[in-house]
Amino acid sequence: MNVVKTRKVLVVEDSRLIHKMYEVMLRPCMLIAAHDGREGLARLDENPDVDVIILDINMPHMTGLQFLGQVKAKPEYEHIPVVIVSTEGKEEDVARGLQAGAVAYLKKPFQREDLLKIIGRFAPKQGPA
Amino acid sequence: MSDAVQKPSRTSSEGGDPLATLMRARQLVHEAQAAIEEAQKSVVQQRSVPGEIPGQDVRLVQAEQEREELAARLSEVEHQVGRLMTLYVATYQLHATLDPADVQSTIAEIAVNMLGAEQFALLLRDDEKDVLEIRLQEGAIDASWSKVVIYPGGDPLIDASLADGVLRFGPVEGSNVLVTVPLRVQDITVGALVITKLFDHKGKLDEEDRELLDLLGAHAASALFASRVYSRAARKLRTLEGLIKLVRKG
Repeated sequence: MNVVKTRKVLVVEDSRLIHKMYEVMLRPCMLIAAHDGREGLARLDENPDVDVIILDINMPHMTGLQFLGQVKAKPEYEHIPVVIVSTEGKEEDVARGLQAGAVAYLKKPFQREDLLKIIGRFAPKQGPA
Repeated sequence: MSDAVQKPSRTSSEGGDPLATLMRARQLVHEAQAAIEEAQKSVVQQRSVPGEIPGQDVRLVQAEQEREELAARLSEVEHQVGRLMTLYVATYQLHATLDPADVQSTIAEIAVNMLGAEQFALLLRDDEKDVLEIRLQEGAIDASWSKVVIYPGGDPLIDASLADGVLRFGPVEGSNVLVTVPLRVQDITVGALVITKLFDHKGKLDEEDRELLDLLGAHAASALFASRVYSRAARKLRTLEGLIKLVRKG
């Protein structure tokens, strides 16, 4: 799909299965993989020019919400849109994620079309205003 | 063009190489996109022609209808591509390792992330002891068999699936199990994936989930079987190597 071409996406997710899923579904994108929040922050420091971050919630070492809090606390990263993709699907979970600064919340299991629609909303090479 | 966009549904049910099917489906999506763009151009051209052309309105309506039809087909093909991708990734990941623990964790990941299972268990036959071990359990399953390490039998849905190797949906009288997926290798049932609860937002299992359940029944079992055989062989090899070293030293 052209809508996701050229985007640089940081995927913070502990499931190898889901990493593979993104690799197949977001094939035109450049994906950077991290398996927990701590690794996600390290990858972000190495790749501050990412266009979107796809974030899981339940992860070892540092949860998705902790990661999100740290990203939004840093002025150089706060503009990067964060999309939460999680099995936590209760209304309060969604509200908590959006209040923490996520721009969208996708519940697992998800459809490829929904993922592409969300990722396609964010222009590539977004920078601070 | 209409023939081309109808093909994926037939191809997807034929089995074969999932990656090749996926590539073909992608090609069809691109063809459908090109056809939509053509139809849109045609509409724009017709609108930009000055003056009245006989039958212009009818052709315009036809072109609009064709565009809408193609857009709907494109959306359907896109959906099929997504579904095939899910099946491909599940198969790929199940066979990506020869470590039995990794295969088990992949089965769990498929259950949680692709099927939306909140509570489930993986039962596997131990050939040496001739029992069914509960190798994996996720969530607080409300069943008498969930409190033990060896499945004692007694759940009608699980017992029936284990006996005849047929996938069964519940709940039925005496069982709160939602689905039992028998894991079969060469017509022998070596275990079962038992799902007792889905995430609230998942709702229920649908026809597309059924395809994934069937895939799990066949591929999870063979992946587990292969990994167990490999790990046993590797263990024996290490023992033999140790013995040979000992003999050489002596």
